[in-house]
Amino acid sequence: MLRRTILKTGAAFAVMAGLATGASADIDGPVNYIIPFGPGGESDISARLQQPFFAEKFGQEMVVSYQPGGGGAVGWASLNGLNGDGQTIMGVNLPHIVIKPAQKDVGFTTDGLNTFYMFHYTPDAIVVPAGSPYQTLDDLVADAKANPAQVTMSGSGKASANHLAQIKFDKMAGIQTTYVPFKGTGASVTALLGNQVKAQWGYTTVGAKQGDAVRMLAVAMEERHPLFPDVPTFKELGYDMTGGAYRGIALPNTASAETTKMWSDMIGEINADPAFRQKMLDGGFALLDVDAGGMADFMAARSAEYLNDAREAGLIK
Amino acid sequence: MEFGHFLSAMTPFNIALALFGVVAGTIVGSIPGLTATMALAVLVPITFSMDPASALILLGAIYTGAIYGGAYAAILLNTPGTPSAIATTFDGYPMAKKGDGDLAVALACFASVFGGMVGAIALLLLAPPLSKVALAFGPIEYFWLSVFGLSLIASLSNGNLMKGLAGGAFGMILSTVGVAEISADIRLTFGSQVMIGGFGVVGALIGLYCIPVLIDLVAVPDRHLKVEEDVKSVRIGEAFSIAMRSKFNLIRSSVIGTLVGILPGAGGSVAGLVAYSEAKRTAKPHQKFGEGEPDGIMATESANNATVGGGFIPTLVLGIPGTPPDAIVLGALLVQGVRTGPAMFSQSGSIVYTFIYGLIIATVLMLPAGLLIGRYAYKSIVTIPKAVLVPTVGFMTIIGTFSIRNSVSDVIIMLCLGVFGWVVARFGFAASPIVLGLILGPIAEQGFVQGWTIGAATNNLFGMFFGRPISQAILAFTLVTLFLPAVLAYKKRRSAPEEL
Amino acid sequence: MSGVPSNRSQGHIGSLIVSAFFVFAGAVTLYDTTGYSDRDSQVFPQAVAIILIITAALSFIIRFQKPSDEGGFGRGIWWRRVLLIAGMFLACFLMPSIGFLAAGAVAFAGGLIAAMHDKWAAKTVLLYWGCGAVILVAFYSVFKFVLSVPLP
Repeated sequence: MLRRTILKTGAAFAVMAGLATGASADIDGPVNYIIPFGPGGESDISARLQQPFFAEKFGQEMVVSYQPGGGGAVGWASLNGLNGDGQTIMGVNLPHIVIKPAQKDVGFTTDGLNTFYMFHYTPDAIVVPAGSPYQTLDDLVADAKANPAQVTMSGSGKASANHLAQIKFDKMAGIQTTYVPFKGTGASVTALLGNQVKAQWGYTTVGAKQGDAVRMLAVAMEERHPLFPDVPTFKELGYDMTGGAYRGIALPNTASAETTKMWSDMIGEINADPAFRQKMLDGGFALLDVDAGGMADFMAARSAEYLNDAREAGLIK
Repeated sequence: MEFGHFLSAMTPFNIALALFGVVAGTIVGSIPGLTATMALAVLVPITFSMDPASALILLGAIYTGAIYGGAYAAILLNTPGTPSAIATTFDGYPMAKKGDGDLAVALACFASVFGGMVGAIALLLLAPPLSKVALAFGPIEYFWLSVFGLSLIASLSNGNLMKGLAGGAFGMILSTVGVAEISADIRLTFGSQVMIGGFGVVGALIGLYCIPVLIDLVAVPDRHLKVEEDVKSVRIGEAFSIAMRSKFNLIRSSVIGTLVGILPGAGGSVAGLVAYSEAKRTAKPHQKFGEGEPDGIMATESANNATVGGGFIPTLVLGIPGTPPDAIVLGALLVQGVRTGPAMFSQSGSIVYTFIYGLIIATVLMLPAGLLIGRYAYKSIVTIPKAVLVPTVGFMTIIGTFSIRNSVSDVIIMLCLGVFGWVVARFGFAASPIVLGLILGPIAEQGFVQGWTIGAATNNLFGMFFGRPISQAILAFTLVTLFLPAVLAYKKRRSAPEEL
Repeated sequence: MSGVPSNRSQGHIGSLIVSAFFVFAGAVTLYDTTGYSDRDSQVFPQAVAIILIITAALSFIIRFQKPSDEGGFGRGIWWRRVLLIAGMFLACFLMPSIGFLAAGAVAFAGGLIAAMHDKWAAKTVLLYWGCGAVILVAFYSVFKFVLSVPLP
């Protein structure tokens, strides 16, 4: 098609100059990478990190665009109507794609999305400002036990990864905290730094971005994050909590098995690049390699857990 | 702050980038539906192959140009090219209708450059201390700020307060449609999936402002804008002397714009509205805001361009983007390996300072570029025959609305809203209160829910809503804005009772 | 439209209808909020809906008691208005099947005819339609190729 043969923007032009074209498996021209949120969030940042590696490895430009609305639902509801020729991909997020369709009819279903790779996750973490009296997780738990509901914790949205983590942890620790939902992680961090709330349910990425301004009390990983060797995991402290918000990429469901396989391999290749891994880790992300083959099992396990948590929390019926 | 950074920003290549960025941004901003966010998102990959500071200068120049460009459509077509220019329509379009469109465009340019400079200099000199403003604003402060913005409805509704308030409330209801942003419900979609994404602000602006203008334009054969017989080529001198007379307004509005810009989640539209409201409150008796008062344009345009520099303050110092374009710049920085956040000024100082100087250069270049493009835009709008102008603008509304979310249903929603807005405006329910409700509704709702949640948890609801100093100050300003005119009018009536 | 205020003028009846519509919209909102599961989602729309109902009802009552001719559709040619809007709506519905450019041309043609108050002359016909084609293709190309908007 004509539009694919014309290089889009000086951007493509600038990056491609000097690089050998060809060598790409089956993609033909720039790829449209839709992020179903606004810019600046974790989904956007990780897509931006993939962008140069994709251009370098496969000789084609990855054009990131934003299609926000309905907490991602607008984008996902439109995904399967897009062309499945492999030139359009869209970011997907857990638990969003599990919880949203379970709440109401939002125009897509979890199984209806052709998710072909989950490439990273941002582990849940409890974050406090540097000047907070909470030095350890125990301090926070003790305060919450002494003053039920008075420990306010900000987080991004309701029925989100942060909210589910808060409900789960409260239950495990036998405490009652107050969850204050904000519009996105950025707003929730602002509230934390401004001492509007006492702590935040955030991600390891918050710790990476804010550096000395904040302190993480615990991270929900199997092992400590390489960037934060001093921050204990919840498991070490006796709470069986691992997980966070998972991010992957999907194709329209009209894409052929070959196209899906090709994409799964390509994203896998980027994920295997040591330089990419380092950039992701520096940003506080945790890498994950669930390819098209392992997706069904992974999604089934995660869905079951999220739905169970959400049901217990009364977020879905 | 060293001079060396200034010199490294002054390379011919960087200056060319800044000029290109300002011109491209102005054009992007002048087209309703084409946003700075979209232009920046496409251009980010350039930063991968360029020197980071140069790339940032390009992005910053486009951003600031786009905020200024939004004024053209606001003045000449009554349609804000970007949400920041909403309050520019209040006086800009009346001016254009009176035949002063060229003057209004020139005024907008002076004001934008002035505001842009104030914002950029604040970013250069005061970024770390000013970033505290972003943190001092809690949920309740956002709530009161939105209430202050809504109080403008009272003065916008031209003596028909009930209709204005009803329009504002209706706008706020529109803002809740779709998946709730912070709570977990889907509201007012009536089971349909079309409305899940809610009413996008940009689409709603196009519908509510632009479509009614088009409908009115085709219905009668008159010219679109009144043109003086001897079209004075430029009215720069006149504009400059008006701007000089309003120094105080410019300074106040720029400071408001810088401060509001620092608040993540408020942005240029709120800054413009707050500055407009303040300019109107302190108006001299002979000034008629809403009927083509130059000070109204200058207040809005200086404030919204000041938000560019202001918005970069939390972006660079705290790593918290104030607006979507800021977020894109932040993403570009991250990919470059520049660590934003508290340590950025010390660790990546040279990139940051070169960028800030680049932003200042771009703002200065906006003066000649803006005046030139503005003159051209004005001339083309007044000289293009109506039969071509109307379908061109109509086509732009379609393509612009479509490209926000690549959705045909958004275009249909935009058109429906436009027809609806035209009908209700004909019966006294003006578009502006509805738009104010739509823009400020989410800020009010989130601030209220969060403030209530925190206040209830700490058993201090009253203190939460009324006990915080910044809240009290905003509340006081709101009350003064709302009731001072009425009190003054009452006193006047008391002193001259025979006058009815 | 000027003259003695009458109870039956377009401006009067129209204002009453619009006010009544806003009251209705508030009532619908109140009804919708009863279905929400989260209290946080309810408070704001409920509060705003109540304000809407009160203010719209007051403006209804004020207008009802003091009839006036204020408001109304004013002068103007209806078929032109309708043609403009119909053309744009038609373009939206045709877009998925005939593509963006062709649909845009439909909207453009509608607007051009609607806004053409002068006599058609051979020169203007050629000039205007030519301009239209250039504008359409130019915008289409900029959005599609430079800004990477996936236009159908």
